[in-house]
Amino acid sequence: MNAIDVLAREQQALLHAMLGEHDDSSLWPHVHLDSVDAPMARRGLQAYQANGLALAERALGAAYPVLAQLIGDESFAPLARHFWRCHPPGRGDMACWGDGLADFLEVSPQLADEPYLGDVARVEWALHRAATAADARPDPHSFALLSSADPAEVTLMLGAGVFLLASAYPVASIVNAHLLDEPALAEAAALLRAGAAEHVLVWRQGFRPRVRTIAAAEYALLAALQAGSSLEAALDDALTRAAAGAPGAAAAFSFEHWLGQAVQDGLVTGARQLAHSPQASRPVESNSFIFHNNPGEHP
Amino acid sequence: MSLTHQAGNVPGGIGWRHPHYGELLESLPALDFIEVHSENFFGDGGAALAVLGQAREHYAVSLHGVGLALGSACGIDAWHLEQLARLVERIEPVRVSDHACFARGTAPGRELHAADLLPLAFNNAALDVMCDNVQRVQDRLKRPLLVENLSAYLHFKNADRDEATFLRELVERTGCCLLVDVNNIYVNALNARLAGSAIDPLAACLRWLEQIPPDCVGELHLAGHHDGGDIVIDDHGSRVCADVWEIYRHAQQRFGGVPALVEWDTGIPPLAVLLEEADCARNITADAPQAVSA
Repeated sequence: MNAIDVLAREQQALLHAMLGEHDDSSLWPHVHLDSVDAPMARRGLQAYQANGLALAERALGAAYPVLAQLIGDESFAPLARHFWRCHPPGRGDMACWGDGLADFLEVSPQLADEPYLGDVARVEWALHRAATAADARPDPHSFALLSSADPAEVTLMLGAGVFLLASAYPVASIVNAHLLDEPALAEAAALLRAGAAEHVLVWRQGFRPRVRTIAAAEYALLAALQAGSSLEAALDDALTRAAAGAPGAAAAFSFEHWLGQAVQDGLVTGARQLAHSPQASRPVESNSFIFHNNPGEHP
Repeated sequence: MSLTHQAGNVPGGIGWRHPHYGELLESLPALDFIEVHSENFFGDGGAALAVLGQAREHYAVSLHGVGLALGSACGIDAWHLEQLARLVERIEPVRVSDHACFARGTAPGRELHAADLLPLAFNNAALDVMCDNVQRVQDRLKRPLLVENLSAYLHFKNADRDEATFLRELVERTGCCLLVDVNNIYVNALNARLAGSAIDPLAACLRWLEQIPPDCVGELHLAGHHDGGDIVIDDHGSRVCADVWEIYRHAQQRFGGVPALVEWDTGIPPLAVLLEEADCARNITADAPQAVSA
């Protein structure tokens, strides 16, 4: 074993002792001990471990403030510490740490009675990432394409941080009740008790990450646009979806009205010509930012 | 890289943290520079980057990293370096710095990052790793990096030299500069005494400074620490103590008017408190020769 390998082994021993993945016995052969009992060395390791755990609580609390409110600080702190030990950071930017908490929650036996928490976490993570998503560059002149080009050959450009979720739970209402008091907490709780499902949209309006409930038709429209479909194909999806819902919903859906509001909200930033290819008007691939979590109602 | 500083013309700055984003931009206090943690601005866009861009219109910005993990035997994260390079290009900072520490490693099937500044074994292997990684960063950024000394709470057996010697060799081999945190030197000295060493902490810190060539120090850091009785922690949570001001005074005399920064990261006080501390740093700087000789 060369000197660099020895160094790597020493570093691994401290890293794993600090992150709590193993016991710390592998560390002690490598560090200077002030005495047989090594109180300072043990205290030093405790300092690193405590700093990591405190950082975990702060970082996860910053990304998941609603989840923290829902389960309470007395449960959130141990959750953050457990997540830190099971899924320690992989990068030196702590804003990247915390992805995957939703899946972690959904397999947690302690939270089995709160199955909606996973989707709450998905929405909060989307809000967290939307905050630092690339700034949108609105191009209002490009909307002229909508009157001059074939709808099968144009699409709409979406704003920053767009994320879609088809949830079996009223998670947009739950999140907004905690962040904005709108709807009221009692109303969100009633929706949850009633088994309401919601289609959820997360995006950033200016610098403000936002979340709201959307209709099934808007969900289908946005999902198709996000997947790269033409406007024509996306509208077909939206109208099909609307027709499958409440009677009269398809007739009630107005693209012009929706577009005006979407532009005002920063959800749509412009139009663009699709590349001329036989596949251009069809979705090219599933988009990782679309998450379906309603086992009985896949759009 | 050789740095020369002129006494009496020393920049003073503060670590600019989230609670003071708005107040600083509204009041625009007289500061020579501000320093931010680079990783807090790695996003592609959003409010934080925009705010930093606004600050840049009024202040020189020093980018201080906490995540490159320059001493990691497994190397540095290419993604992290690219994010930093992009930020450097965007902000055009007056200085770019990170620490003489490691944090990266591996677990089966994945990479690990401790999100902390873990200590190095001061030996040839660690020096080789540090030199390779610092050189890679400097090549990418096309500028010298400033490397900061640590508060360390564990010490590897395999070390065969002291920290100051290690850092001096790093400078000689890579042409990097040093960011000397005088509070860190003091915290280490206090912990050495707690561990049974019969040192005088203040004298030990001054000996540490004497080992550093004056022309390689590009910035000094000042902060408070917490004495827990059984260990002293560099928590950046209080005013700079008298002994650290004294070490700082010696540092300014030896290094010749180096830009100085006050950091405060725990229990962040009103902005006015940081500004007072920064003023103290500037005043001591200006008086350094007289004060040290007194």
